[in-house]
Amino acid sequence: MAQFLQQMVNGLSIGSVYALMAVGYSLVYSIMNFSNFAHGGVIMFGAYFGFFAMTQLKLPFPAAFAVAFVGTAVLAVVIERIAYKPLRERNAPFLYFIISAMGASIFLENIIIATIGPTFRTYPDVFGRTSISLGSVAIGRLDLIMFVISAVCLAGLVLFIEKTKIGRAIQASAYNMKAAALMGVNTDRVVMIVFALGGMLAGIAGVFFGMKYTVYPQIGNITTKSFVAAVFGGLGSLPGAVLGSVLLGIIETLVAGYLSSQFRDLIAFVILIGVLVFRPTGIMGKTTEDKA
Amino acid sequence: MRVRNIVAAILVALVLISCGGAQKADVIKVGWFGALTGDQAVWGNNEFNTVKMLFEEINAAGGVTVAGKVYTLEAVGYDNKGDAQEAVNVVRRLTSQDKVIAILGPNASGNAIPIAPILESAKVPDIATVATNPKVTVLDGKVKPYNFRVCFIDPYQGAVAAGYAYEVLGSRKAAVLYDVSDDYSQGLRQFFVENFKKLGGEIVADESFKSGDVDFRPQLSKIKSQNPDIIFMPYFFKEVALSANQARELGMTQVMMGGDGWPSEQLISMGGAAVEGCYFVNHLDYDDPDVADYKARYLKKYGIETELNGYLVHDAVLMLVDALKRADKPDGESVAKALESTNIKGITGKIAISPETHNPEGKDAAIIKIIGGKYKFQQKYAAK
Repeated sequence: MAQFLQQMVNGLSIGSVYALMAVGYSLVYSIMNFSNFAHGGVIMFGAYFGFFAMTQLKLPFPAAFAVAFVGTAVLAVVIERIAYKPLRERNAPFLYFIISAMGASIFLENIIIATIGPTFRTYPDVFGRTSISLGSVAIGRLDLIMFVISAVCLAGLVLFIEKTKIGRAIQASAYNMKAAALMGVNTDRVVMIVFALGGMLAGIAGVFFGMKYTVYPQIGNITTKSFVAAVFGGLGSLPGAVLGSVLLGIIETLVAGYLSSQFRDLIAFVILIGVLVFRPTGIMGKTTEDKA
Repeated sequence: MRVRNIVAAILVALVLISCGGAQKADVIKVGWFGALTGDQAVWGNNEFNTVKMLFEEINAAGGVTVAGKVYTLEAVGYDNKGDAQEAVNVVRRLTSQDKVIAILGPNASGNAIPIAPILESAKVPDIATVATNPKVTVLDGKVKPYNFRVCFIDPYQGAVAAGYAYEVLGSRKAAVLYDVSDDYSQGLRQFFVENFKKLGGEIVADESFKSGDVDFRPQLSKIKSQNPDIIFMPYFFKEVALSANQARELGMTQVMMGGDGWPSEQLISMGGAAVEGCYFVNHLDYDDPDVADYKARYLKKYGIETELNGYLVHDAVLMLVDALKRADKPDGESVAKALESTNIKGITGKIAISPETHNPEGKDAAIIKIIGGKYKFQQKYAAK
């Protein structure tokens, strides 16, 4: 029983890591209808921004945190302007967007390797390595803080999209970009705002990842799992992305804990494929169009 | 008269030349190859410098006696740039052109594996330095007749770790976490498990992950529930640091142990307090009194510190000199035969070559413990 509770805590913690990334994917997907594979690279930059803000500029954690997510918001918008806007203006097929995104992702990883180097860097200790014990179940302080901050950010995002005028414009554009443009919505600005929001989430995720798993140029590769989680939950749906991530985290943990760690990914992904066979749009996805 | 004088002078000269030639025949040429340029150049230069230094010392002390005759040693070294294709070319040149009777190096398994056919056709033995892959000396269960090595092989580390954990640390219940996508990790795990069970220990958890994973808590929680005495972690420093940190976060206090994938400056900076008090297996200890003399001689001659490779090529030279002394004739075939029965004490430990594998069997490994963020040598240990 103690092990089961501990595994559930582990699963929730891993799931909330996936969720932070998956929401960024889903947000961009809901507007642009393509998978932004450069998201992993932006997360990696967030980890480096936060790290250098703390170690080189000697900023306290909250300030470094802000530097990271403002930096990644700017970076995501710049990537959009350079890599996607020219394609958008030419009405290029979605495949071209994906190739452009992969190019951006490779570029981001390699520019870090070439300038800063491939070594691993460790964040200064902010929350301490000790964990809170509830009976025999241990909960990491960082996990708890990460869980709370992610939940607050996601709630803030939902409020922003539901309650503000820009949020309504995002919703309209997500439903039909052309029609929204005809109704006087500045869709170019909407795309920019969506990328800025996705970039902020990436920055937040990046700082937490860096603290949790150290900082290195390939850290963005963890996003593969969160992409799967976003598809599982239903691409384009924010609550779906969160649900898919948490479920994936828990399934993985339970498979590793009770079946076999050798088959952790195998079994977890077979379950996901099974769900997608019966619900091709994921758990909460709405659109049935064929989108990459 | 004058003609006769000239003839006499020519005869004398011829005798002198032939004498000179005879003196030249008292030199034994030994080949060396490795990377002298490129990103492995540090290790290659270190090896070749060590070989040259040792040959000078041996010659100054009177040379080597082979089958009752005294010879001096001459090193012929070539750069293969760490390239496997180039390794083949260089060995061909050493055997056919320079007519060396034995070759030392290379350090990399990938360069040591492809040279076997050339060694066999030329009947020249080779002693690899830090090439730890089992395939360097044994292929498909058959020993390669002219390939030898001076270091222990990857699976052996697993056996050493098991022995030390059971005999010295007194562990009875062990858990293993390993990288299922890595040959090195799998080999170490297999031999740790086999040997630990053979000694009478119990493997309470055998969990795996795959390269690139960053979260090990599901596996660690499972291990925790089995309450082992020790956790064996045969993989590289990055995953070691992450998994050790996560284990400590889960409240696990067990001692952890690993292999030669651990030592790195970054292990300490990333792992910090989590790896404190943990052990790993290494080829040797740099502070071991046995290596101090060589280390000092090298530093004095070249003005820089020697690397891991230098210690191993040092013992490769000891192996060769020992084999030369016992050989029937100064040729490759006889030296190879003598190498098969090598049993000497090197600075990196006991070197007893097995004729079946051409590996030094039961060679001492160094056990290192992490104390106060420093690598502290504990003792030498050989698996039985």
